[in-house]
Amino acid sequence: MNTLSHKNGKIALSILGKQWVFLFLILEALYFILRATGFFSIETLQMIFFYGTEVFLLATAELLVIITGGIDLSVGYVMGFATVVSSKLMVLFGQLGLSPLVCILVAIALTLLVGIIPGWVNGCLVARLHVPPFIATFSMLGVTHGISELLLQGIPAKNLPQLAGDIGNGYFLYYIPEGRVLSFFVRPLVRRGQHVVALIPNIVVLSFIFVGIIAFILKRTKFGQHVYAMGGNIDAAIRAGINVKKDIIRVYILSSFFASLAGISYVLKYITGKADAGATLLLDAIAAVVIGGASMFGGSGTVWRTILGCILIATLETGLRMMGTPTFDKYILVGVILIFAVIIERFFPGRNP
Amino acid sequence: MPNVQSVGRRNIFSTVVGQIVAHNWAFFFLILMVGIFSIVGSGFLSITNFQNILHLATGPLLLAAAETFVVITGGIDLSIGFIMGMSSVLCGKLIQLLTSSGASISTSILVGCMAGLLISLIPGMINGLLISRFNVPPFIATLGMLGICNGITLKICKGFSISNLPDSLTSIGNSYVLYVHPEKGVTFFHKPDYLADTQIRELIRLIPVSIIFSIGVLLFLWYVLKYRKFGRHTYAIGGSMDASIRAGINVKRHLVLVYTLSSFLAGLAGVFNVFQTGIGNYSTFSAMYELFAVAAVVIGGASLSGGKGRIIGTAIGVLVLKVLENGLAISGVLPFYRYIAVGVLLIIAVIIDQLFPDLF
Repeated sequence: MNTLSHKNGKIALSILGKQWVFLFLILEALYFILRATGFFSIETLQMIFFYGTEVFLLATAELLVIITGGIDLSVGYVMGFATVVSSKLMVLFGQLGLSPLVCILVAIALTLLVGIIPGWVNGCLVARLHVPPFIATFSMLGVTHGISELLLQGIPAKNLPQLAGDIGNGYFLYYIPEGRVLSFFVRPLVRRGQHVVALIPNIVVLSFIFVGIIAFILKRTKFGQHVYAMGGNIDAAIRAGINVKKDIIRVYILSSFFASLAGISYVLKYITGKADAGATLLLDAIAAVVIGGASMFGGSGTVWRTILGCILIATLETGLRMMGTPTFDKYILVGVILIFAVIIERFFPGRNP
Repeated sequence: MPNVQSVGRRNIFSTVVGQIVAHNWAFFFLILMVGIFSIVGSGFLSITNFQNILHLATGPLLLAAAETFVVITGGIDLSIGFIMGMSSVLCGKLIQLLTSSGASISTSILVGCMAGLLISLIPGMINGLLISRFNVPPFIATLGMLGICNGITLKICKGFSISNLPDSLTSIGNSYVLYVHPEKGVTFFHKPDYLADTQIRELIRLIPVSIIFSIGVLLFLWYVLKYRKFGRHTYAIGGSMDASIRAGINVKRHLVLVYTLSSFLAGLAGVFNVFQTGIGNYSTFSAMYELFAVAAVVIGGASLSGGKGRIIGTAIGVLVLKVLENGLAISGVLPFYRYIAVGVLLIIAVIIDQLFPDLF
C-alpha cells in the first residue's frame, strides 16, 4: 500500500515535471482573469497570438539550432535585416509603378531569398570552418545590423503600400452579430453602432502554417531525425553516415529563413522597417525554447512545447500590459521562469521525451 | 639528408615566427590599424585622441576583464552588461535622493557608490550558485539574470536615465592627473586657478584618472590570474573540470567566486560610468555590452571552450575594438560599418586560432 502510494506520487511528480508549463499557463491565465479587467475575452486571446507572431517564428528558428546543440544569436537582427530589405523593396517597386499586391509579393519572395544568406554563411562557418556557433552567429548579428543600418541610413523605412498594413492587421473572418453578415478577409461596411467581431488574424494563420511545416519536418522526415541525432551525439551521427556538414548548414539556413519570416510579419503588422526590430526578441525566443523543455546541450525539444513556451511569455506580457504595470516586470518574470525551467528539468525525473 | 634537415629547420623557423604572429595577431593588427588610421584620419594621431580612446574604453575594459575569468572557466556571463546598468542606475538614484534630501554631496556619493558595488555582488552570487549547485548551464543562468537585472533596472529608473546629479561627479571621473599650461605652470588633479576662456584652450591635459583606474584594476586582475592560486584554479577548472575536482579544488565554491567577481567588476564599471557621464545610465538591448566583451575576449586569444585566455590579450582585444570605432569615426566612415567590421574581425580571430594550435 505504502509502495503503491509512493509510486503514484512519483508518477504524479513526473507528470508535474513534464506538464508544468501547461499548469503554469493555466494559473497565469486565471490570475490575469481575476486581476486584469477584460482579460477573459476572445479579443485578448487573439491579441496574445497576434503580438506573439514574431516570437513564435523566432523561437522556431532558435529551436532548430538549439536541437543541434548550437545557438543562433543572429535571429533578432536577421529579422531586422528582413524588415529593412522587404520594406525598402516594397517602396522601390511601388515607385516603379507596380500594383501594390505584386509589390508586396515580389518583395516578400526576394526578402526570403536574401534572408537565407546569413544562415548559409553561419552554417558554413560552423560546419566547415568549425567556428563556435556563439561566435559565428554573433558576428553575423553585427554584419546584418550594419548592413541594415546602411540600407536605412538612419531613417526608418516609410511610404509602404497601404495594402501591406491591411494584410498584416486584417482578419480571416468578420462577423456582424446584428445583421448576421459573414465576410472573409474583407472588413464589411459597418453602420453606426454596429459591432463587428473579427476572428483569426491573417498573420497568425500564416505563421502557424510555417511553424506546422517545421513541426512536420522535425517529426516525420529523415532530415528531422538527423537534426535530433546530430544534437544527441555528433560523433555517432557522423559514424551513422549522416552528412553532418550539409545538415548543419541546412539547419542554420532554415533558422535565418524563419527569422526573415518574422521580419516580414513585422513589416506587414507595423508597416515599417527597423534595423533593431528584433533586438529585444532574442531573449524571448531563447527563453521560449528552454521553457519548452529543450536542452541547451542539444538533442531534445519539440515545436509544440516551444510554442507553449511562447504563449506563456506572450500571455505574461499581454496580461501585465492590461493590468497597467509597465512591461519592466515582464523581463524579471521571464528571467525567473527561464531559470526555474532548467531547475525543474534537473529535479523532476523523466522530463526528456 | 642535409636537404631534409634544412627543410625541417626552415619549417620550424617559419612555424615559430608564424606562431608568434598568430598568437599575438591582435597586437600586430592593432599596430597596423593605428598606422593606417594615422595616415587616413586627420587628428587620429594625437595624445588627446589616444587619451580619449582609453578614457572611453574604461567600462568595456572592466567588462571584458570580468568576462575573461568566466570564459577561462569554460562558462559565459551574458548578464554583465545589465548588471553594469543596474549598479549605475542604483548609484545615480541614491545620490539623487540623498542630495535632494539634504545630505552632503560627499556622503551621498560615497553611499551611492557603496550601494552600487554591493548590489552588483548579488546577481553574480546567484549566477554562481545556479551554475555550480543546480547545474544550470551558464548560458541560461546568466541569460535569465540578464532579464531580471534589466527589469529591476527599469523599475528603478522607470525607463529614463537618472539625471540632476551633482557636478562634482563628472569633475572626479573626467579629471586628469596633470594639467600643463605654458604660462601658468603645472598643476595636479585640478585646473590652474583663474584661467580665462582663451587660456583654457591652451591647457594641455595629461593622463586621465580613468586610465589609472582601469590600468590599476587590470594589473591587479592580471596578477591574480597569473600568479595567485585563484587564477591557477580558474585555468584548471576550464582545462578539465573532472581533473580539478580530483585534484581537490573546491570547484563549486570557486565557480561562485568567479561569477561574483565578474558581476562585481561589472558593478564597478557601472559606478565608474556614473562618474564619467554624470548620469545613471541603464543598458539597452542594442548596446550589447556583454557580447562585445565576449568578442574582445575571443579576439584576445581566449577559447570559449575554456582553459585559455589572458588579461593582456583581453585588453588588446578591447583596444582593437575601440581603436576601430574611433578610427572609423575620425576617418569619416559611416558608424554602421563598425558592426560589420567587428563581425569580420571575430571570425578572423577564431579561424586564426584554429589554424595555429598552441605552441607555447
